[in-house]
Amino acid sequence: MTPKLLLAIPLVLGLHASATSAAGPLAIGATMPMTDAKLKNVDGTEQTLAGVKQAAGTLVVFTCNHCPFAKRWESRIVELGNTYAAKGIGVIAINANDPKAYPEDEFDVMVKRAKERGMQFPYVVDATSNVARAFGATKTPEAFLFDKSGKLVYHGAIDDNGEEPSKVENAYLKNALETVSQGQDVLVKETKSIGCGIKFRS
Amino acid sequence: MLSALALSAAALTAPTAPAPLPVAAEAILAEVRKPGAAGVLVNVWATWCAPCREEFPDLLHVARELAPKGLRVILVSVDFPEAEADVAKFLTSQGVDFPTFRRIGKDDAFVDGLERQWSGAIPATFLYGADGALVRFWEGKASYPVIKKRALAALEPKEAR
Repeated sequence: MTPKLLLAIPLVLGLHASATSAAGPLAIGATMPMTDAKLKNVDGTEQTLAGVKQAAGTLVVFTCNHCPFAKRWESRIVELGNTYAAKGIGVIAINANDPKAYPEDEFDVMVKRAKERGMQFPYVVDATSNVARAFGATKTPEAFLFDKSGKLVYHGAIDDNGEEPSKVENAYLKNALETVSQGQDVLVKETKSIGCGIKFRS
Repeated sequence: MLSALALSAAALTAPTAPAPLPVAAEAILAEVRKPGAAGVLVNVWATWCAPCREEFPDLLHVARELAPKGLRVILVSVDFPEAEADVAKFLTSQGVDFPTFRRIGKDDAFVDGLERQWSGAIPATFLYGADGALVRFWEGKASYPVIKKRALAALEPKEAR
């Protein structure tokens, strides 16, 4: 009985992983996909999600330079990233957009933006857009937060008001980050915001 | 006097698009379910969204072609409030002469209120049958033949789709 069970678990996990990458976002409870993909960082180094991962938890944000919604949230993303990176959460921002569609999403603009904003975490290029595909990310900005056990515990919006930071009523990602950094269970696990559709490379 | 004449002549050749009406998701669905349409197309767009702007002429082409077959088209801008003038300018440049809408309220309520399957990415297009039930939706821009084919399918009676 036991050997059979052991055999069945990886099979089920395998099916699950392929299903989520084909359609729909990574499900709550899923583990991080494509952790070994090499991603070029704004500082010229190569990063992997495995390298960014921290014991307390890991935040992956799909964002970009050109999108007006991503721009509205940009300073909040940087502030949250810097704050929680300092608290032991692994943080990475990923640009999966094809810069052929949006020249503003070119690498050199990312370098400039990261410097201007004072990003203290990697801002990398998903050069095939396959990391975004594996996460089932569809838009920018879109956040995925994993807890200390490596499971997805939050997916969605930065907060509930992109337009006016002063009118935010629910700071979803901040709350989730705080909860995860304290090793507790995230209550609001999935939220949505309007964003720019990711322009996937073909 | 002359300039006033010139202005009114320009206004005649290019009628100004009606200012978009502010709506929440429920009001859009109420528009969808208003009787009298054989099918309804809802498109969520913004002036700053390049693929939205690119597909706009194709959407309007389909809208004009299929209006006689009973297709109702509902355009919803999610532009920021300060972009009002840009929205009006764009709609006018596209020759939109029917009422359109702009989103109000929180993202979460708007996205899920309109359609739970929608991630919130734009452009997003939703097609409903005569009964107001969702037939199909997609994120990202589509070409004229694709939009037309899908819209025609939504216009078909349920059992013929």
